[in-house]
Amino acid sequence: MVNIKELKASIGETQILKGLNLEIKPGEVHAIMGPNGSGKSTLASVLAGREDYDVTGGSVDFESRDLLEMDATERARSGLFLAFQYPVEIPGVSNINFMRAAVNGKREHEGLDPIKGKDFLNLVKEKASLVELDGRLRNRSVNEGFSGGEKKRNEIFQMAMLEPRFAVLDETDSGLDIDALRIVANGVNAMRSPDRSFLVITHYQRLLDYIVPDFVHVLVDGKIVLSGDKDLALKLEEKGYDWIKEDVIA
Amino acid sequence: MTGTAEPIVMDLQRKPNIHPATQAKGEALLAALADLRTGTGLATEYLKELPVPHRRVERWKHTPVSGFWTTYEAPKVQTIQAAGCEACPVPGLHAYRIVFVNGMFDAEASDLPVHSGVRCEPVSMIASAPAEAGNLEKSDWFAALNQSHATEGMKLHVDKGVVLDRPLLVHHHTHGQKSANFLRHEIQVESNAQVQLIHWSTSNEAASGMVNIMMQLDVASGATVALDKVQDEAGQVHHLAFEQINQAQASQVRVHTGTIQGKWVRNDLNFRLDGEGCDAVLNGFFLPKDNEFVDNHTTVDHCAAHCTSSEQYQGILYGSSSGVFNGKVFVRPHAQQTNAYQQNGNILVTDKATINAKPELEIYADDVKCSHGCTIGQFDEEALFYARSRGIGESEAKAMLVHAFIGDVLDGFAVQEVRMEVEHRLATKHGWDTWNDTLESA
Repeated sequence: MVNIKELKASIGETQILKGLNLEIKPGEVHAIMGPNGSGKSTLASVLAGREDYDVTGGSVDFESRDLLEMDATERARSGLFLAFQYPVEIPGVSNINFMRAAVNGKREHEGLDPIKGKDFLNLVKEKASLVELDGRLRNRSVNEGFSGGEKKRNEIFQMAMLEPRFAVLDETDSGLDIDALRIVANGVNAMRSPDRSFLVITHYQRLLDYIVPDFVHVLVDGKIVLSGDKDLALKLEEKGYDWIKEDVIA
Repeated sequence: MTGTAEPIVMDLQRKPNIHPATQAKGEALLAALADLRTGTGLATEYLKELPVPHRRVERWKHTPVSGFWTTYEAPKVQTIQAAGCEACPVPGLHAYRIVFVNGMFDAEASDLPVHSGVRCEPVSMIASAPAEAGNLEKSDWFAALNQSHATEGMKLHVDKGVVLDRPLLVHHHTHGQKSANFLRHEIQVESNAQVQLIHWSTSNEAASGMVNIMMQLDVASGATVALDKVQDEAGQVHHLAFEQINQAQASQVRVHTGTIQGKWVRNDLNFRLDGEGCDAVLNGFFLPKDNEFVDNHTTVDHCAAHCTSSEQYQGILYGSSSGVFNGKVFVRPHAQQTNAYQQNGNILVTDKATINAKPELEIYADDVKCSHGCTIGQFDEEALFYARSRGIGESEAKAMLVHAFIGDVLDGFAVQEVRMEVEHRLATKHGWDTWNDTLESA
């Protein structure tokens, strides 16, 4: 599904990703953990096509296509989704119209006609129930005045609407209380399927109690330095990252 | 403030601020125009006394007028048909029409209202004494220039209680080079009457010269007037628009000004709320690109108690364009219980675009509610990326953000067909997809 080889990226003069390798097969859930400043969010941004970053080396293969050749819109339409760490507020644009434009963008890419109003509203109803997003939030401006939890639920709602092949969740657990965390995780779990993959970026092991990963990777200084199964996350929670810096890198 | 002082209205009572070199340019312009038509109106005297605008005249500080100091020619085209345009610029609009081409009445293209209690005629067909100079003509050189040179325009009178069944479209088209077009519209709406007006200005690609339009609108008690004003002028036309709106007790006036295109545009919109319980709404948007210039000067003069005014101007400036917003609000000593609101938002798309924005509130009453806000910012790159990351194309995402920014103003246009045509023309000008936001969720 996704094959990242020797990926190097910088912002301005600062190199952040320094040769990152990661292969994700269909249906797999990978978690990436790591200390602050190790490059986790940079990886998410580079994959989604944020233009502030310069890719200075390596390749990203997405379903046998060169992901780095596509712009952000094309990546999304081809089935990549990024759940933002800080979802953006867009005053004056209703959530529902925003999503209809997104859904129709994808349909256009697939050679389909725009979705009919009634079908769209039924789809909204179905997907919103996944994350318990009520009608009030659907009609409001995108993320405007949403609480932290509502914003993250809205991200998962959008993901459900767009049914991506590969979803990157960038610190989706940050700012969530336990109830919201469970709702968000349930939404993600409901979408797990043999032909959909996830990359879950998180600081804390807690999210991985709810979204159980197949693999856990540790990112330090722009490289994956250690990989394992879900038990690795528990060990990190217990011992922190320092032992990796000492034992693995040294 | 003691509350007894009379506010200074415009530049009227200030000592003349003459700049000799600019004054000479103004005189040269008058001489050039004299070859085309004779300045006759009562305002010719004022033209001699008033300062020709320059940078040290406060209301013209950021408004370069050098484009006016050029030569002018008699127009060759006098009808909309000869100009190769559709009779009506708004597709599907069912409206009465009064059409002017290069400052002249085009009877063929017009469809004047036939309605009891409504008189609507071109000024040239009425034998009447020229109107007396108002505050604008006594204080502003270009307004005086209008009064002294305008021999054409619309005269509209709507009787008491009459509700005009269709909007009335006043269309001015400029065709050809170096024309000097003056129009003067005088509108009287008697008590409890209701009228929708559309003021539409166009020009062809090769057009140049000046358009100077004055509208005097007197609205009697309890009457309702909506004015949708659209400026979409190609070429090098310099457009000056003055409106003086006087409202009597409990009247309602809504003016929406949309500047789609124009090399140089100055709107000078003035409200005087003279009776209690008036409601004035003045909204506008301007989206200049390349090296276009758009200036909106507004004045709302609260002279009576219990009136409300609400103002919102939104500008998005592309390329090397520049803009001016100046919003004056006077609340006179006896205008208690005034509720005045003003908002001006500006987005500078590039680092070459400029805006000079100035809210000016002078409040002499002590029991009022006045608020104003002014912002200058950039397009939200983060919102743009967010939309793209959801698969929304870049041009559609931009259209979406523009709509979010000027949506309130667009929604306020009184005539639906006008709103739709404005959106269509904006999309064409900027190469956007049209952004459809009509879906409502159950």
